[in-house]
Amino acid sequence: MEEIVHALLGLQVGLTTAIALLLVVGLLLFKLLQAGSVLIAGPKYAQFLAIRYLLTRPINLVGMLGITVGVWALVVVVSLFSGVLSVLEGHLHAATGDCVATGVPPWAPWPKLDAALRDDANVAATAPRLLHYGLLVRPGHRPPPLPLPGRGALHGGDQPFLFVLGVDPAAEAEVTGFRQWLHDPAIPPELRAPDASNPLAPRDGLPTVLVGLQRMQREGLRVGDRVVWTTARLVPDSQGNATPEKLQVELVVGGAFKSAHGGFDGNNVFLALDTMRGQLAADDAQSVQEIVVRLHDAGDAALLATAERLQRALHRATERMDRGYGTVMTWREKNANFLASVEHQRGLLKIVLIVIMVIAAFLMLATLSMMVTEKTGDIGILTAMGGTPRGVTSVFLACGIVITLVGTGVGLATGCLTAVYLEEVRQAVRWATGVDLFPLDVYNLDRVPYSIEPLWLLQVTLAALAVGFLVSFLPARRASRQDPLVSLRGI
Amino acid sequence: MSAPVLEAIAVTKDYRLGKQPIPVLRGIDLAVQPGEKLALLGTSGAGKSTLLHVLGLLDAPTTGEIRYDGERVDQRSVAERARLRHRQIGFVFQFYHLIPELTALQNVMLSGMMATSVLQYWGVRKAAKAAAIAMLEKVGLGHRLHHRPAELSGGERQRVAIARALVAEPRVILADEPTGNLDSQTANGVVELMFSIQRERGLAFVLVTHDENLARRCDRIVRLRDGAVVT
Ligand SMILES: Nc1ncnc2c1ncn2[C@@H]1O[C@H](COP(=O)(O)OP(=O)(O)O)[C@@H](O)[C@H]1O
Ligand SMILES: [Mg+2]
Repeated sequence: MEEIVHALLGLQVGLTTAIALLLVVGLLLFKLLQAGSVLIAGPKYAQFLAIRYLLTRPINLVGMLGITVGVWALVVVVSLFSGVLSVLEGHLHAATGDCVATGVPPWAPWPKLDAALRDDANVAATAPRLLHYGLLVRPGHRPPPLPLPGRGALHGGDQPFLFVLGVDPAAEAEVTGFRQWLHDPAIPPELRAPDASNPLAPRDGLPTVLVGLQRMQREGLRVGDRVVWTTARLVPDSQGNATPEKLQVELVVGGAFKSAHGGFDGNNVFLALDTMRGQLAADDAQSVQEIVVRLHDAGDAALLATAERLQRALHRATERMDRGYGTVMTWREKNANFLASVEHQRGLLKIVLIVIMVIAAFLMLATLSMMVTEKTGDIGILTAMGGTPRGVTSVFLACGIVITLVGTGVGLATGCLTAVYLEEVRQAVRWATGVDLFPLDVYNLDRVPYSIEPLWLLQVTLAALAVGFLVSFLPARRASRQDPLVSLRGI
Repeated sequence: MSAPVLEAIAVTKDYRLGKQPIPVLRGIDLAVQPGEKLALLGTSGAGKSTLLHVLGLLDAPTTGEIRYDGERVDQRSVAERARLRHRQIGFVFQFYHLIPELTALQNVMLSGMMATSVLQYWGVRKAAKAAAIAMLEKVGLGHRLHHRPAELSGGERQRVAIARALVAEPRVILADEPTGNLDSQTANGVVELMFSIQRERGLAFVLVTHDENLARRCDRIVRLRDGAVVT
C-alpha cells in the first residue's frame, strides 16, 4: 500500500517537473522562433539593412567568431570525449562479459555455481576466474621502471605492479574478447602464442603467462622467456589467523595479447586457472573468485532482469546459515566508477567550454551595442519613411540573429569536420610542432576516436541560439527606445 | 475649392522642461489643398520643424487634431500612423539623412521595403528596383546609382533624398529647409526639380523655409512667429 502511494507521489512529482520543463522549453523555443522569423517574415528593410550594417563593420566578426569558436570547441571536445568513452565502454564490455559474479566464497564449488547460473535461459556461456597480483621479473633484470609522471596515473599503464587473472582459456574465449586479444593483427608473429587453441598450455614443464603486447615489447620479452612471478599468499595457522607468506613462481612467457585499451594490457597478465589454484588455494580445488557471463540477450532491459535473476541463483547456490554470498553485476555496474570518472571529466569540460560561450556572448553584446550607438542616427529617417519602433528594433535584432546563425552554423560545420578529421589534425599538429595532442597508444587506437552525438549537437545549437538571441535583444531594445526626432532635428 | 488633403486644427505643442511646460505651437489652424504649394516661413526657433513633425505624424500634438482627407489620424495606433507616413507622406530634410552604408540606389529602394515582409518583397523585387532606378533617373542621377552618399555632392545627396521621398508615390511632401545646406545655384536646381515633380503629380507640398525669396515661389505663404500663425 505504502509503496503504491510512494510510486504515485513519485509519478506526480515527475510529471509536474516534466510539464514545467516542457512549458519553459516550449516558451523559449517559441521566443527563439519568433526572433528567428524576423529574417523571413519580418519587414524587408530590417533584413536588408542588417546585412549591410554587418558587412560594413568587420568588428562584428569578432562576436561571430566568438560564437563559432565556442560552438566548435563544444562539438570537438565533447565528440572526442564521447569517442573515447565509447571505445572504453566497448573494451570494458569485452573484458567483463555481459554480467559478472564477484566475491564468490572460496568454499563454493565451481561446478555447482556453474550449473546454478547456466540454469537461467538467458545465459549463453560462463567462465571462472581467480584474481591475484604481484611482480613479474626476468631473472637477472630489475623490475620494470615506474611509469612516466602523469601517464600511468592517468591511464593506468606502464606500472611494474600487475594484476594476475587466472582463466580457463576455452571458457574465457566464449564470454570475453580473450580470443580476439590473442589474434590482434598488431601482434608480430614471433610474439604470438604458438598454440592459439590452448595458449596457456605449459611449456618445458612450467606454467605459461600471457603478457600485454606493449609490456613485452618494452621489456624485450620473447615467447619462451623465463620470468618469476613474486607475490604473497595468506596461510592460515592453527588458531585460524592468516599470516602472509612470500610466494615465487617460475613461469614461461606464452605470448602477447592486445585489447582495445592499453591500460588494461599494461596492468594485467593471464595465467591458467589451475596453475593459480595450485599456488594459492591448494586445498580448495574447485574454488573460483569471479564468474563472467555472456547472455543471449544483453539488451538493457534483459540485462538488468537477468542480473537480478542470477543474483538470486548465486545466493541460493552459496546459501549457508540462511544467507547467500557473492554479488552479480552488469558490466556497466562493475565499471561504473571508471565510466563515471570519464563522464565526470566530460561534464567538467562542458562547463569550461560553456564559459567560452558566455565570453563569446559578451563579445557579441559589446560589438552590437557599439553598432546600435553608432546607428541611432538612422532611426529617425527610418521612422519618417514608415518604420515602427518594433520594425526599427528588428533591424538590430536581425543583426544579432545573422551573427548568431552564421556563427553557430560555421561552428557546427567546422566542429563536425574537425571531429571527423581529428586524426589528420593530430598528425598535422605533431608534424608542425612536435606536440602530440592525443597519445593514441594509451588506448591502443590507430585513429583518434570521435562520436558525434546528434542530441549533443542539438543541445549546443539551442544553447548557442538562445544565448545569441538573448544578447541581441538587449541592444535592439535600446534602439527602440530612442526618440526618432532627436536625430531628425539635426545638430 | 476641393477638400484639403491635410489639416491642422487648433494644434498646440508643449515641451516640458522640468515641471515647466514650454509652449512651442500655440493653436495652429492650417489646411493644405491637393496640388498646392504651401510655404511655412519663419525665423529660427519659430516652431516650423515642430509643426512639420506634427503634420507628418512623427510627433503628437499636445491638443488639437491632424486630419488626412478629413479623417482624424493623430490618435491612431503607432502602426497605423507608420503606415500612413509610408503611403501618404514623403519627407525631405535639410541634412538629407541618407544611410551611409547604402548606395544611392539602395537608399531609394529602401523606401519600397518599409511596408513589405521579406517574403512579399521577393515577388516585387524586380519591379521595386526598376522603379527606384527610374526615380533616380528622373532626378538626374542615372549615372550615380551605385555611389555611396559619401561619394556624392550635397546637391546630389538631396536629389537622392527627393527620389527616396517620391518613389513610394505619396500625396504629400513635407520638406524641412531642403536647400538650407546648399549653395544658391545648387539650391535653385533642387527647388526646380521638386516643383516640377510636384506639378506633374499634383502633390500637396509643404515647404519649411526662412528664405523669403524661396517662399515667394510657392502658391501661398503661412508665416509663423513664436508658434503662432501671423496674419
Ligand atoms: N525636444 C525639445 N524640448 C524642448 N524644447 C524644444 C524641443 N524641440 C524643440 N524645442 C524648442 O521649440 C522651439 C521651436 O523649435 P523648431 O520647431 O525646431 O524651430 P524652427 O524649426 O522653426 O527653427 C525652439 O525654441 C526649440 O528650442
Ligand atoms: Mg527647423
